[in-house]
Amino acid sequence: MDYDVLVIGSGIGGMESSIKLADMGYHVLLVEKEASVGGRMILLSKVFPTLDCASCISGPKMSSTINHPNITTMAYSQVEGISRNTDGGFHASIRQKSKFVDWAACTGCDACQKACTVAVPDQFNADLAARRAAYIAFPQAVPKKAVLQREGTSPCVGACPAGIKAHGYVSLVRSGKYEEAFQLVLDATPLVGTLGRACYAPCEADCTRAKLEGPVPIRLIKRFAADKHYEASGQSDGRAVEVEEPNGHKIAIVGSGPAGLTAAWQLARKGYQVKILEKRSKPGGYLRHAIPTYRLPHEVVDADIANLTSLGVEIECGVSVADPQALKDDGYDAVILATGTQVATRMDVPGEDAEGSVNGLDFLADVANGAAPDLRGKRVVVVGGGNVAMDAARVSLRLGATEARVAYRRTRAEMPAHHVESKDAEAEGAVFELLVAPTEVVTAGGRVTGLKLQKMRLGEPDASGRRSPEPIPGSEYVLDCDLVISTIGMSPDSAPFAPLADKRGRVAVDPKTLQTSVPFLFAAGDVTAGATDITRAIGSGRRAAHMVDRWITGQPLDGFTALDDRLETISTDTVLSRQTAFGHRHPISGDVSLVHNPRDFSEIEAPLTEDQARSGAGSCLDCGVCSECQECVKACPAFAIRMDARDELRDVTVGAVVVATGHKLFAADLKPEYGFGKFPNVITGMQMDRLLAPTRPFNTVLRPGDGKVPDRIAYISCTGSRDKTVGNPLCSKFCCMYSIKQNQLIMGALPLADVSMHYMDMRASGKRYEEFYTQAKDMGAQYIKGRVSKITEQENGDLLVRYEDIENGGGVVETSYDLVVLAVGIQPNRDVERLFDEAPLGLDEYYYVAEPSAELSPGQTTIPGVFVAGTASGAKDIVDTILHSGAAVAQVAAHLEHQHFTEEVTV
Amino acid sequence: MTQTLRDPREVIREEPLMHRPIFEALASGPATIVEIAERIGHPVHETVYWVMGMRRYGHLIESAEADDDGFFSYKIVGQGEAEAPLEECEYE
Repeated sequence: MDYDVLVIGSGIGGMESSIKLADMGYHVLLVEKEASVGGRMILLSKVFPTLDCASCISGPKMSSTINHPNITTMAYSQVEGISRNTDGGFHASIRQKSKFVDWAACTGCDACQKACTVAVPDQFNADLAARRAAYIAFPQAVPKKAVLQREGTSPCVGACPAGIKAHGYVSLVRSGKYEEAFQLVLDATPLVGTLGRACYAPCEADCTRAKLEGPVPIRLIKRFAADKHYEASGQSDGRAVEVEEPNGHKIAIVGSGPAGLTAAWQLARKGYQVKILEKRSKPGGYLRHAIPTYRLPHEVVDADIANLTSLGVEIECGVSVADPQALKDDGYDAVILATGTQVATRMDVPGEDAEGSVNGLDFLADVANGAAPDLRGKRVVVVGGGNVAMDAARVSLRLGATEARVAYRRTRAEMPAHHVESKDAEAEGAVFELLVAPTEVVTAGGRVTGLKLQKMRLGEPDASGRRSPEPIPGSEYVLDCDLVISTIGMSPDSAPFAPLADKRGRVAVDPKTLQTSVPFLFAAGDVTAGATDITRAIGSGRRAAHMVDRWITGQPLDGFTALDDRLETISTDTVLSRQTAFGHRHPISGDVSLVHNPRDFSEIEAPLTEDQARSGAGSCLDCGVCSECQECVKACPAFAIRMDARDELRDVTVGAVVVATGHKLFAADLKPEYGFGKFPNVITGMQMDRLLAPTRPFNTVLRPGDGKVPDRIAYISCTGSRDKTVGNPLCSKFCCMYSIKQNQLIMGALPLADVSMHYMDMRASGKRYEEFYTQAKDMGAQYIKGRVSKITEQENGDLLVRYEDIENGGGVVETSYDLVVLAVGIQPNRDVERLFDEAPLGLDEYYYVAEPSAELSPGQTTIPGVFVAGTASGAKDIVDTILHSGAAVAQVAAHLEHQHFTEEVTV
Repeated sequence: MTQTLRDPREVIREEPLMHRPIFEALASGPATIVEIAERIGHPVHETVYWVMGMRRYGHLIESAEADDDGFFSYKIVGQGEAEAPLEECEYE
């Protein structure tokens, strides 16, 4: 037996039960779902009828609970299931939710919550105010430790193959922290400006906001942060990032595309001496040599690459590497191949090598390197339907072509080009010839005069899932043209590394480690995967760098948490279910300037203005709650943040169980005639208790509608209790008394305020309760017998309350108030229904935990060995809860002693 | 004043976005929440959430007393004299 007793819930009932049982010598495991013990009582202002400070009473109990040698407290944990053992005890599965903070290190200083960029409603202040995703439950929390509320990976982050924290930089821009946003992306890759322009933004495709009026403009927000950084610094300054001391190891990287540059960046930051060897005359790979400058200006690529060189990374251009072993022999500890896909796939049709027939990669590279052909007055046919085809067609138009036709063998729906690229190409004047395949490049005198095409139709789906094109016999025709650009595919140039290549010509690697069959040789990016995109190449470069570091330092090739150990991506349904309604926001998207037959290479997409960037970022729904912006990590003086923490499951055996799960409060908006949730100056009793508490969310008692100190305050009793219309005929027992308590406190805090309470029956049936009621009347509170039928809001936010005044003639009266407080009743906490795996815990007809013999054996439930304490079994005030807990404790002790006695007799 | 209230979660989520306009609204000196709301062009009840969030995390501080109409003024922390927020248990 691990513990004698499992107590579930650490409100006043759970704490009282735990302390008493522990004082008797029993070993108690107390499980609390929140990050602090104390339950609801610690959040109250004072208690009735003594008007003792709730904190002053709860605080010592909380401290005793945590520090008692016989109590083990598991805060921020949940019981997932309880089953009975054969020995009469119980087996419980408990989930210790990850706090993402090392509580042994956390000092409760609150630096994390001040740095946090995500605001959410504070459940500990009854949603009256904001807290942060990084938070300490409340000022008197025991233990006073922070947690990060992470409900999963945000879909934008989960969708990014580069592992870039999109939610993080969006929330930083929303907070005006532009440089921090830039640095967050820079932590993953030096290519911040590049991604802000040329990424196809899978993050936006998965953005939950896209299910509403349109996605957050994530890519453009990144571009905004990059532009701000580069504008401010004049040129790139990668030295702002954290760089480890030189470790004496040298790494060679072959290829300077996104994979190679990113791998170099990560390794340089770890203290490696890195050299990039590039075959072409300038670095950047396809970022410079394929993507046209109207999409990605070379200055942006240069600025991004300068991040690297500022760390001391050397880039040597014009160098072909055919023998990685020679690099090893030259003193490099490891080599990463990142040579991309350099070989264009041939059409294999007659005439392909004629003058006027080129492949798209060479064509785009020539243009990028200042060797653009003069296409004025020329007709161009581009073969293929991918992004390179769209680039080739649009570049042709810019070079003066009178016509740019894109010949593709399937339909528009199967076109592999990104839909934005094909749409923009068409807008600029490219014409699509669909369902056609080239059969011959037609020439005259060795020069291209046309392209013979065969019409196709779609047959059955092929291995890729796309329907295969099939030729239509006898349908060939010739399209007259002056230039044919073939863009039907590309593959790695594996010739230098033939022994390492797979049958598709790609360098074969372990997909998790990116290590080749030669231990010192790793490969990253398209050379291993075939043509993909920038984000995948960056993710691969990050992985390769991580694994090279692990290999050189003699560690297992694992632990790449950026992509391999993310929290499960939260579902959009879960995110959307958090709100009852969503306000419409006009989606912000890029302002792309598209003209028919463009004639220059100036950048076509305008940057977001600062207002647009912040407004766009403001539409983020904070899907995962914590944005992973890393501000808390930077702010924590104790280095206590643990983003890699994960839930832990613990199984325990116990002799008995005490259910002290408390109650829920009635949802006041279910009484629409009172206007809660519709009129800001209608609040609940719990909200008023928070306003009256020393740790209140406002500076004093203010009305939430405008921050005014209220002069005329009305209470409406029995809101959601003794009311069959909302399914709760029960009296909640303490609403009258907490209302009277609040009446007195308000008159103390706001001496000029008038307080009235509209009631049906006054239930003041405890010791000194009636005197407490009389005292409130003597202080000036008015008690008006009669039901309130309706509340309407006036222009200034005041509330017109329509009610029956039974004791003054029974007429219907209307009175105006500044603030209305609804004395809401309680409801059962039905979470208990999920606790027991086999025989369910018996509930009464109102879904409270049943006590079959409440008069003679209070605290006993329908399951022998399981007991209930406090309001989990029905409405009780604090005094009665403590008494009931004492009764439950006695029952537990009797049960355990009976078990011991039986065991001894058996022995 | 009657209007449809936005979900509090949505309003509160916008607090970081509203810091700058609220700071700008208070640049010339303290203002009540009603005045701040007017200057930033947002509903008063939503501005209450934002001002109270900023107050809680140390960006704003209230005046010692409310004006004759019952409104406190709020100012940027560090702007003018500092005033201690009510944190202690004043009923003790």
